[in-house]
Amino acid sequence: MKLFDPTSGPAPRGSLKPAARPPSLAGLRLGLVDNTKFNSDTLLHKLAERLGRRHGATVTLTSRKRSPSHEIDEAAVKALRSQADLVVSGIGD
Amino acid sequence: MARTNEATSGASVSTDPAALIEAYYDAGWTDGLPVVPPTEASIADMLKGAGLRGDEVLGEIAGRNTVVVADKVAINAVMAGCRPEYLPVVVAAVRGLCHPDFAYHGPASSTGGSAMVLIVNGPVAQRLGINAGNNAFGQGHRPNATIGRAVRLTMMNVMNTRPGFLDRATLGNPGKYSFCFAEHPEDLPWEPFHVARGFAPGDSTVTVYASNSLYQVYNQLAAAPEPLLTCIAGALGNLGAPNVKGFNQALVVLAGEHAEIMRASGWRRADVQRFLLEHTRYRVADLKRAARLPGAVEPADETTWRYVFESPDDILIVCAGGRAGSWSACLPGWGNKWTRAVTTRVEETR
Repeated sequence: MKLFDPTSGPAPRGSLKPAARPPSLAGLRLGLVDNTKFNSDTLLHKLAERLGRRHGATVTLTSRKRSPSHEIDEAAVKALRSQADLVVSGIGD
Repeated sequence: MARTNEATSGASVSTDPAALIEAYYDAGWTDGLPVVPPTEASIADMLKGAGLRGDEVLGEIAGRNTVVVADKVAINAVMAGCRPEYLPVVVAAVRGLCHPDFAYHGPASSTGGSAMVLIVNGPVAQRLGINAGNNAFGQGHRPNATIGRAVRLTMMNVMNTRPGFLDRATLGNPGKYSFCFAEHPEDLPWEPFHVARGFAPGDSTVTVYASNSLYQVYNQLAAAPEPLLTCIAGALGNLGAPNVKGFNQALVVLAGEHAEIMRASGWRRADVQRFLLEHTRYRVADLKRAARLPGAVEPADETTWRYVFESPDDILIVCAGGRAGSWSACLPGWGNKWTRAVTTRVEETR
């Protein structure tokens, strides 16, 4: 008898790979993605304020998702690509 | 990335059925209940049941880097105990889960621990014997038990929705094993649920809907819609319900005697929805005192009402359950309009 694997791994993403890590945040443009969870905007802006004060990054764009459950839309991704060097997201409960 | 269905590449696994079942446990592929070990023949028969090729893509969820392919769904359906003719319903449900309006990530992964409620309408329900009558939510009916289970196994094994990983339910609920029922096709007080959602009466459909819980509403004395619906409104809008703060959807399932009250009264679906919307509201002050809204209570909050539902259409109404008994059920939806119920057509033949 054989076992039949019912699982699927992540779908292949071609040449997608993590971006190079910047050696310093000084002078970099910071994008924020607010997933709309309660207080996520407060937390993100506190974080951004500290990143600016301690490391010299400046917020250039804040994007607000339709909901925590929805993916970020293409227009927002495009704007972040052109207006930010790094992005902070991922706020939970 | 190459996919293979055979985990063992032909390596010998015990022919002892109990040992084979244990092997699936050991691999972490079950929902906690024993599975039916698939064979090449049973997987092929399952795919044939829906007229699918093994490599057909049934859906994608880009944000989770997930692609759902037919052969994996077929394997999970065999494991769940489905008959091949059930697979079109499973496939329709999976397509619903992958629909952008369902916004799978939240209801699948939230601490809220939603069951994926599958509501089947149309000829396929009777043809497959999907229970819509006594004990519609309960045990004892193979299609109800195994179709819902196949969808959950697919979520776990194919859509990476495993407890402790991308399923972060705080409590979960028993409906996460399986939750599938049909709308009762006879003596409906109004048009069938799927017709209300834009399908033809002869269409077969499955609606996927994420709900944190189920609670039954009892009223043996009501002989008219108003008192009965007042009770249902109380259940829908209880202060602890997730609905209260966020204008999400809710599902109301009217069983026989309660559905008959509606039919005899001549109330239409829209009348019921409107009544429930109007009778599920709180003063803002009460929501703040219960910490369901933030902030201190202001004088104006004492006379400012906040409604639980934004639109009558957010209240989904289905008729199912036994003819005897004064029971209905409320199933609050997950999230603050972050997911919507999705109805898809069941494609039985190709």
